[in-house]
Amino acid sequence: MTQYQKPLPEPSSLTQPFWDGVKQHKLLVQKCSSCSKLRHTPKPLCPHCLSQEFTWAPLSGQGQLYSYTVMHRSPAPSFDGDLPYVVALVELKEGIRMISNLVHCPLDKVRVGMPVKVVYEDVTKEASIFKFAPA
Amino acid sequence: MSEALKKAAIVGVYQSVQARQLNRTPEDLYIEVVKGALQDAGLTIKDVDGIVGANPLQTEGEGRGIPGSVFAEYFGTHMRYAGQGLTATQADAMGMLHAIEAVNTGRAHTVLVATAAARSGFGVPGGDSGQGVSGDQWLSPFGLPRVGYYGIFARRHMHEYGTTSAQLARVAVNDRKHALLNPAAIMHSRGPLTVEDVVNSRMIYDPLHLFDCSPVNQGGGAIVVTTAERARSLKHRPVHVLGFAESYSAVDIFHLPTITSFDGPGGMSGKEAFAMAGVSHSDINVAQISDHFTINPIIELEDLGFCKKGEGGPFVESGAVELGGKMPMNTNGGYLSHSHAGGPGIYDIIELVRQLRGEAGARQVPNARIGLHHGVGATFISAQTAILARD
Ligand SMILES: [Zn+2]
Repeated sequence: MTQYQKPLPEPSSLTQPFWDGVKQHKLLVQKCSSCSKLRHTPKPLCPHCLSQEFTWAPLSGQGQLYSYTVMHRSPAPSFDGDLPYVVALVELKEGIRMISNLVHCPLDKVRVGMPVKVVYEDVTKEASIFKFAPA
Repeated sequence: MSEALKKAAIVGVYQSVQARQLNRTPEDLYIEVVKGALQDAGLTIKDVDGIVGANPLQTEGEGRGIPGSVFAEYFGTHMRYAGQGLTATQADAMGMLHAIEAVNTGRAHTVLVATAAARSGFGVPGGDSGQGVSGDQWLSPFGLPRVGYYGIFARRHMHEYGTTSAQLARVAVNDRKHALLNPAAIMHSRGPLTVEDVVNSRMIYDPLHLFDCSPVNQGGGAIVVTTAERARSLKHRPVHVLGFAESYSAVDIFHLPTITSFDGPGGMSGKEAFAMAGVSHSDINVAQISDHFTINPIIELEDLGFCKKGEGGPFVESGAVELGGKMPMNTNGGYLSHSHAGGPGIYDIIELVRQLRGEAGARQVPNARIGLHHGVGATFISAQTAILARD
């Protein structure tokens, strides 16, 4: 088996729970204990009320394609074989947006607004990546 | 115009040769642009008591010194002020705003803003490329370089407003048309570009084609800001900054409520700069609007209020921003056809100063009195506006 060559997430202590969640095939984001608003990417305080108390809440994984680009220039040799590939800005049902790849979708079927759902790829023994596919 | 804002003036501008590859050291290039801008102003290094931004002089003896002290040691003079630049290479238009503030408040008398990119430019080996993937956990695993954000911005703008590839292309076509009139532009000898050329060039970050993207190149530039009082006895007609403002929104695209604007709620920096300057849109004779990618000026013209939100494409297509149109934009050829080296906003300020002095040769906007610069750093979402006027 060839080794996975693409960059793996390098979590900080603050973002480790998010990536641990991905490993368990969950999308966990911070939920403010004071105003209940969700936020992503992880921060030590809530930008809405500045509370520093939070819990980790799972997202549905359902959303829509808010925008995207099709990459025709590779940013690193490890992506060369994937060209052209879709980088998606996904808006989840809960209002959180995330950058990821749209997979399992022919390029001519990609549309802004299309429904998508999260899928997980266990790329190494230690790390998993979240991606999106047509719902 | 408020008299207080007339305390500072831009009195010297200079740019080096701009090219794909200069085979110069960043230090050498920096020294050239510093000397060049001072010579243009008719000032000497002894007049300078402030700088803005980092400088490549620090490469000698890695990490030894901070910009102000290194500059003082190299040029044999004392500094009273060292303003922070955006990044190591980006002592650009935003840097100029800080220089103006320093002079307006009396913190410094004469301030240099210089940028020199001979090594750490986009795509240069060992440099900070922005086209590759770094250790960013939210982008790198998905193969998105930060500049790829512009494809995502463009796609959403097309979706919301029906903006077309041909409209995007028109930005590059206009820039090239202007570059053909500017011997300093790196694309000066490349001949005209058509909309067909752009939309038929190979795709890079779909919907952005090769000619929708700025080139990777090297070069430097500098400006000198001093007091209006001192400016009166210098070589050139001074250029004042009537209004200026900045806005900062987020680091990443997914934190923005909308991705069809770069400049805060309702075009924040533009509104503030116009209000400070006390001028209206129809007063602007010439504009330099950042165009790292063709989608940018379309969004920026909307943010600035030169057209309604969503109408940037048709506005550009109308010819309004070409030489001969009602507000010529990027008369030097823009980042797309003139230069994209270092903190390219410096070339926007240099071009406006030349237009306002009446020194722009074949590309001169007749009787240009007031010019506007708007710049974005849309990969770290921020914007700035500056409105300049001749004395
Ligand atoms: Zn809160």
